[in-house]
Amino acid sequence: MMVKFTNKFMAVTLFLAALVCIKPAAAQESEGTVNTVLTPHDKDGVFSSTASYTFDVTSTYSTPQNGRVKYEVTTEAGKKLRSDSAAVKLGGHGSASYNFDVSGLPSGFYKINFMINVTDYDDTTRRAFGIKPDEMRSTHAKPSDFEKFWDNTKAELAAVDPEFTVTEMPDSSKDNRNVYLVEMKSLGGLTIRGWLTEPKTTNKHKKFAVMLALPGYQVNLQPLYGIDPDIAILSLNIRGQGNSKDVINVRKETYITLGVEDKNKYVLRGAIMDCVRAVDFIFTRDELRHDNIIAVGGSLGGFLAVATSSVDKRISFCSAANPILADVRTLATQVDWPFIDIRKYVNTRPGVTFDKVLNNLDYFDSKNFASDLKCRTLVGMGLLDNIAPPNTVQVLYNGITSEKHLIVFRDLAHEIGKKYVIYEGRWMRDTFALF
Amino acid sequence: MSLLKTSTRILFFTLILFVAAHSVSYADGGFPVRPGRLLIAPSVGYFFANSQWDTDGKKQAFADNGKFSSVGVTLYAEYGISRKFAAVASVPMVFNRYTTASSPTVTSSGLADLETGLRYYLANIDFIYYFSIQGTAITPLYSKNPSLGYGEEGAELKLAFSGTGHLGGLATYFNAADGVRQYFGTNGPIQNRYNATFGLSLDSDYENQISATLSGIYSQSNDKSFSVIPETNKDFSFLQASIGFGHSFSHETSLFLSGGRFVTGRNTGVGTSVSLAFIYRLDYR
Repeated sequence: MMVKFTNKFMAVTLFLAALVCIKPAAAQESEGTVNTVLTPHDKDGVFSSTASYTFDVTSTYSTPQNGRVKYEVTTEAGKKLRSDSAAVKLGGHGSASYNFDVSGLPSGFYKINFMINVTDYDDTTRRAFGIKPDEMRSTHAKPSDFEKFWDNTKAELAAVDPEFTVTEMPDSSKDNRNVYLVEMKSLGGLTIRGWLTEPKTTNKHKKFAVMLALPGYQVNLQPLYGIDPDIAILSLNIRGQGNSKDVINVRKETYITLGVEDKNKYVLRGAIMDCVRAVDFIFTRDELRHDNIIAVGGSLGGFLAVATSSVDKRISFCSAANPILADVRTLATQVDWPFIDIRKYVNTRPGVTFDKVLNNLDYFDSKNFASDLKCRTLVGMGLLDNIAPPNTVQVLYNGITSEKHLIVFRDLAHEIGKKYVIYEGRWMRDTFALF
Repeated sequence: MSLLKTSTRILFFTLILFVAAHSVSYADGGFPVRPGRLLIAPSVGYFFANSQWDTDGKKQAFADNGKFSSVGVTLYAEYGISRKFAAVASVPMVFNRYTTASSPTVTSSGLADLETGLRYYLANIDFIYYFSIQGTAITPLYSKNPSLGYGEEGAELKLAFSGTGHLGGLATYFNAADGVRQYFGTNGPIQNRYNATFGLSLDSDYENQISATLSGIYSQSNDKSFSVIPETNKDFSFLQASIGFGHSFSHETSLFLSGGRFVTGRNTGVGTSVSLAFIYRLDYR
């Protein structure tokens, strides 16, 4: 018995040893990789008619690499529209370029995946492109009483005594800036808070332009610093976020659903009014320039920047990066968030339907706010954004009638690049004459 | 949080000391002026020449080992009226001195030509490149003293182009300006005045900057006479190369040192100059 076990053990050991010895030789045979570079023939990935790409393939394998490179075009919602492929035959250390033209698509944004499948390598490159985006318009109208609804909401806010309080926070002072905790009463009597940072100056004539920094979803904004001696920054935490959770303090996924069945109770109604109240606060401060206010934000902050600048014309510059909730009815067919959470909420509320929610959300659709913007507006979008898809942001942008500029980030998702921040700073300084 | 102060900080040094002769004038660029901002720049300049280019551009020493020197004290000011308009003014005071081997030293001094102007911010390209146009009136603050200038009123229209950039991680700027000036008296010359500057910030805080400037005047008149005092010649031209160093002490104050030399010319002295300007700015809004 013992002999048999010993023999088996030896056999297994020898087999494993043989594998170990053989493996380096096999690995040596297949060592290498395939590098791919996808180049759109427009730097922004936005085309006037035909989308064209070059797909470069380089093999470092010493062995031939054969297979296909294929593209597939879908709508933002995932419906397949176009596909094509080309045979790949690469010799050892070979390279080749493949040109693809995607034509005949109507105005819009599309997802495109390039897939390579060769002897020793598989990969997919995911991109998106636009065709004549300037022609895109929403097919969903703005409610006829949209402006009236917001006028009434502002009137309701005006009836709330703001009870502004400002508390200096000397321990937080840095970058030659004074820091203040700002508290105020907003719609429904809720207390909201923000942080005001002001450059220290001995110039008694000095007045600061104001950056109203608006938060992303469930982001806790802290005091914002920087060495700029011309700008005061008011970072606001809307109700239910950051240090403004006295009354509304819910889980992250719940926030966007709060009161969504009733436009008069929806959490974003109060949140937008919180931003208007922050502008009220700016107007109480003599050291701040009341005609040089920029509302800035990304994602939900981008939404708030557009909405606040639309309902409050005291804002003179709007900068919205990746604004969410644009063209809501289209959005609902394309993205998971926030509609997964909203549908869950609807399912737990008898008498509430998703259609009713959409009717309500029409009053919170950022593209409906955009058409009322009167100030200069900068918009940023990522073509791969799956929260604020480019087609929805483009519709928002196209609806703006005031002076505007759009910066497209071809290879980014729900974010913007440095180019946006640089342009925003330059345009703002020019607008506010901060030469 | 960066809000892009680059152009603003660089603007502090866009004043180009343009030492043509006995006065220090300012050939500022295309950048707009912030509304409510007052900039005051007293400066002192020294100009020296002991040789000349004749009407054919041939270089020769001044007759009788002559030496011309001039000290100019200039007060320059600009104020941003609105986003588009800025007022500019400069008042020069000069002290001229000419010595020769055999003749007594000749001196003259007094206020020279007052320049008052209005600058208009025309346009920009991507908020990086700026264009402005400036109209300037020239008013002599003297009479019957031909050693201080033409004694004629004049007007100038100038187009300026400025921009910012980066070079090897350092901030850069440039100014280019060209102005046509007409004096209205007898044989009052018509002049093309131009300058181009490239500047480089030596540190990220914009405390120290260096610059190189090419500037010149091409002046035409029926009066072809020559004087060792360049500002009194009417038909002449020169090209000057200058380098400068600026240091910023604070947001409000800086100092600018510049030195230059005429590199080519016609019917003018071969000038060498140095100047020092103190720049103070204050925001009134």
